[in-house]
Amino acid sequence: MSGALLSCRSARKVFRTHEREPGLRGFLRGLFKRKWLEVEALAGIDLEFAAGEFVGLIGSNGAGKTTLVKSMVGIIPVSSGRAELFGRDAFHLRDEEKRRLGVVMGQRSQLWWDLPALDSFELLRAIYDVPRAEFDQRLARYVELLDVADQLKIQLRHLSLGQRMKMEIIGAFLHGPEVVFLDEPTIGLDLIARETIRKFLVELNREEGATLVLTSHDMEDIEHTCRRLVILDQGAVVFDGELVELRQRIVGERAIELHLEPGTEDRAEGLAESLQAFEGRLSRENPLTLTVQVPASRAHDCIAHLLSVLAVRDLSVERQPLEDLIRQVYATPSLAAGLARP
Amino acid sequence: MSKALALLAHDLRLLRHTTEYEFRKVLAFRVGFVVRELLNGVAHPAVMICLYFALYAQASSEAIGGWSFPEIVGYMILSACVQKMLFHHRLLEVADQIFTGHLTKFLVMPFRFFTLPLGRFVQNTLLQVAIATLCYFAGLYLVPDWWPRPASPSAAAQAFALVLLGSACFLLAYYCLAILAFWLDVVWSLSVMFMFVANFISGRMIPVSQMPPIFEAIFRWTFPYWALSAPIELFMGRTPEGFFLEGLGILLPTLLALELLRRVLWRLGRRRYVGAGM
Repeated sequence: MSGALLSCRSARKVFRTHEREPGLRGFLRGLFKRKWLEVEALAGIDLEFAAGEFVGLIGSNGAGKTTLVKSMVGIIPVSSGRAELFGRDAFHLRDEEKRRLGVVMGQRSQLWWDLPALDSFELLRAIYDVPRAEFDQRLARYVELLDVADQLKIQLRHLSLGQRMKMEIIGAFLHGPEVVFLDEPTIGLDLIARETIRKFLVELNREEGATLVLTSHDMEDIEHTCRRLVILDQGAVVFDGELVELRQRIVGERAIELHLEPGTEDRAEGLAESLQAFEGRLSRENPLTLTVQVPASRAHDCIAHLLSVLAVRDLSVERQPLEDLIRQVYATPSLAAGLARP
Repeated sequence: MSKALALLAHDLRLLRHTTEYEFRKVLAFRVGFVVRELLNGVAHPAVMICLYFALYAQASSEAIGGWSFPEIVGYMILSACVQKMLFHHRLLEVADQIFTGHLTKFLVMPFRFFTLPLGRFVQNTLLQVAIATLCYFAGLYLVPDWWPRPASPSAAAQAFALVLLGSACFLLAYYCLAILAFWLDVVWSLSVMFMFVANFISGRMIPVSQMPPIFEAIFRWTFPYWALSAPIELFMGRTPEGFFLEGLGILLPTLLALELLRRVLWRLGRRRYVGAGM
């Protein structure tokens, strides 16, 4: 891919730590002789992000996504290989490059705790040297989009988590960054705040062309915002592609929910055995409602079978949620290996 | 050249902003302001005056180590004023920021992190100089007989210059200790130990010239002496000709050496930073 804003070439990060043995004896031994361990957080990552992309970066705890983000924004150096941002080694970014970068850390405030958000924004304006007119225009727009006009003059420490996070996001975008990393921006937020933030991010990505890299454990965040998905597992990329591609490559399951006619409950007996022919299973069973999980490729035949043996009043078919697909990737090493790019 | 000037202008602008921010922070809580900013540095000299009172009451002569009791009271009053102006380790948060990972947010911003502690230094100095000056003149008005007076206006100006330079040395020394947090988790203890030693060397408890001559001969090579004991004695007119220049000869190279050490430690430490908590 040409014109990549961010790139990793065989990026490897190894943390060195010493093993702490339990008990007093172990503690005393550790004072004089230490056993050092090397933990490989990134196992030679190759990635490129182009301008205007909205990338979801996901992985279970310890998969290496935070280390990857830290390496890409220059907080920590890679042990070997390269991590580049704007064509420069990320650990040695100059002020010119940092002005083009934004970071939102869901669990660490970017703004000043003791100041009202507006004062923090002014301080950021001074740090990033944003022209006054540009700053005012952006601030007005973002405040309107995130609906936080009433909270601008309140000390940050007195805002709710959702309000604070909206301010954090405004702060990260005020200088018009070309690349923004968002680490768990919706963590702990209610449904409405999450929705507002997602819409805001999508709009900024679309209208201002900012490259956004989002890490989140909330698959809804990823599903509603990102086009491209990068899945990390044990420090390596196991999937890198379009979200739709993931759905195509992992032939997921379908959940078939059946509402039965009253008085026909007994006909569901023996259904579990007959579903085996379609590699399906009964995942939920209430007197008048049944849920059947079946591979997508067998869904058609299975539905025909169910309609022939049951008195069905209503029926719905749902795709497997992304979260289930991801869980499937982690739970099945062979599947993860199959997804990895050659 | 123009790029360097633009960078300097940006840094100065930012310094003004961070100083303003620090001012707002200290003024945010009234009780905190009174305890931390007004009473800071006052208790210790007050206790020492009581201790000296007991010592002089028991002493057979009017002077101990060349200091009479009224002179010692004057020294302790000036010590309180100077102590207020000197930078101390409690004003720095950088060690905590390294431990907790709060440093991360600043590392991705286009500015030198040291601007923030520098902003705090400027704010603290401006505020404490104002408070110390007010306290000094209030005391001079209320108890003129006991209150110390400058030997001359130039002695006062020279003493003030030494205090400011000494305070900058303290900023850098505590900052260097604090950024050892990249490697160690005991920087708070190290800072407190350093503070005790520095207090002794600076003559906060006892004027250095009242100590055995060997102590004075050694301490004159260190910056804490020139930050407190020396300026007070200069102010009181107890020093020989060329004393101020001798002080500059120690403080300026120390300042330069500490600044170099700060840069080296920061550069090395940054490679060890893991950005905890992100």
